Amino acid sequence: MSVVEINGLTKKFGDVLAVNNISFKVEKGEIFGFLGPNGAGKTTTLNILVTLLKPTKGTAKVAGYDVVKSPSKVREKIGVVFQDITLDRELTGKENLWIHGKVYKMDSVRLKKRMEELLAFTELEKWADVQVKKYSGGMMRRLEIARALVHNPEILFLDEPTLGLDPQTRVHVWDYIKKLREEKEVTVFLTTHYMDEAEKLCDRVAIIDNGKIISIGKPEDLTHLVGLEVVYVKIENNLKPENLLQISANGKFADDIKIMDDKTIRFSVKNASETIPKIFENFQRIGVKILEVKYHKPTLEDVFLHLTGKSLREEEATPLDQIRTYHMRRR
Amino acid sequence: MFGVKEALNSTYVMWYRQVKRFIRARSRLVGSIAQPLVWMIFFGVGFASSFRLQGYQKIFGGVDYLSFLIPGVVVMAVFFTSFTAGISVIWDKEFGFLKEVLVAPTSRTLLIFGRALGDSTVAAIQGFIVLALAYLLVPNLSMMGIPLLILTVFLVALSFTSLGIVLASKIRSMEGFQLLMTFIAMPILFLSGAFFPVKTMPEWMKILAFLDPLTYGVDVARVALTGVGFFPLTLSFIVLLGLTVAFTVFATCVFRKVGIE
Repeated sequence: MSVVEINGLTKKFGDVLAVNNISFKVEKGEIFGFLGPNGAGKTTTLNILVTLLKPTKGTAKVAGYDVVKSPSKVREKIGVVFQDITLDRELTGKENLWIHGKVYKMDSVRLKKRMEELLAFTELEKWADVQVKKYSGGMMRRLEIARALVHNPEILFLDEPTLGLDPQTRVHVWDYIKKLREEKEVTVFLTTHYMDEAEKLCDRVAIIDNGKIISIGKPEDLTHLVGLEVVYVKIENNLKPENLLQISANGKFADDIKIMDDKTIRFSVKNASETIPKIFENFQRIGVKILEVKYHKPTLEDVFLHLTGKSLREEEATPLDQIRTYHMRRR
Repeated sequence: MFGVKEALNSTYVMWYRQVKRFIRARSRLVGSIAQPLVWMIFFGVGFASSFRLQGYQKIFGGVDYLSFLIPGVVVMAVFFTSFTAGISVIWDKEFGFLKEVLVAPTSRTLLIFGRALGDSTVAAIQGFIVLALAYLLVPNLSMMGIPLLILTVFLVALSFTSLGIVLASKIRSMEGFQLLMTFIAMPILFLSGAFFPVKTMPEWMKILAFLDPLTYGVDVARVALTGVGFFPLTLSFIVLLGLTVAFTVFATCVFRKVGIE
């Protein structure tokens, strides 16, 4: 059963096409990752799914309800963790959860039980009565996840759940998300620009760039798009056009050869340890000097590079980002 | 009725949050009370001594300048706190706690109404503290007017929290916020008659003063504390009440349709 169903979804801000005619489904019980660089349209899509933005064109259904026609129904079924911490830092962990439950019209007895259960789940019992401003980044995230679950949602939306956390804490947060799916039977939809997060955490990943979905599938299937293993060769001098022809002519050993820049060539191969000697032989024959050879199993990073020809971009600060920075400093 | 109880619950929790935050953040309380105190003591006492002679009291309706100023400063304290609180809804909705409740299956009207009530309560409490301190400075202020003053302070707080919320939905940047403070908040304050009487203003300024929603709050507060007012009390009170209702309704309507960026 699909819990999220998107059809031809498009969102324009003025002339800017933030989301460009995307369609996909998320199945019940999945951890679904929406992967792409900053500004690719991930958050915009998520905001449409959680009823905060209206699409320009196309439809989106969440838990069987249309996000435009019945936003209240959708809101009942979802829990959301936004990119920015939306906790009240002056209040305690418990108070944050309590206000959330009351806003969701829960009765006090049920709410109290649920709060205890979730504080235990996120291992925050000892911190329940401490003001949130004294929490670490990872603890705040955990509290936010707990809060998003208070009203028993069917789907949990997480926007860049580990942004700004140190590597150790990130792995810790991943564990909670995995545990969540196992113990609470919640479908998880998350956005991320961390390739490893998508790879290690998600059952399926949609890669989005410039508002378009460029590939969708299981992480291992996506990496196989690139090949079983990839070899990067860095050469001393710029590659001449005739060299390229020579390499490809002799390059039966590689499934795919791609020039990354003037001095780097990528070979997608089945077995790197067998291929590397052949590459050396080949390059020697045509008189190209190798400076460096690297090889690894392809990651989603390689997939992204393979599909778009570029790695992650940095976005310029918008007026809203300025307010955000100012606001963060203030508190 | 079940629905009514639930609905009031969401208004109540939003109110509770604002009040609880206020109780927690004591440093902010000190800051917001210190400013009006500085006005009262240094500006007020200083000016009062230059208006000491008998003839000057006529300008201020027959009271000394300090008594004239104090209702103005109390209302000013409430105005600043509530107006900024209303505007701060913008941060809260883009990056804060309020964004989280925007995805809740609950009436936004009731939520923002609770929020406005909470901010007004906080602003009103600050006003009362300033007033209590003012009695130490000018013991001959009327005690009889306190109930009316409490009501006035609360109405001023609610109307300007609401106005802040309405304006917040229109601004998109830090610059916008600063422009709002300079070109809206300061004129509202100066034209209100808080520091100098409306009566002696030049005609063009008087017109602006009549259009200033704060003028009526200052006037009612001054009648409550000193018995001196520019408008008849009933008139200014009705205008104040009307503005409060109008701004509150406007704010809840604006907020109901609010999206995010």
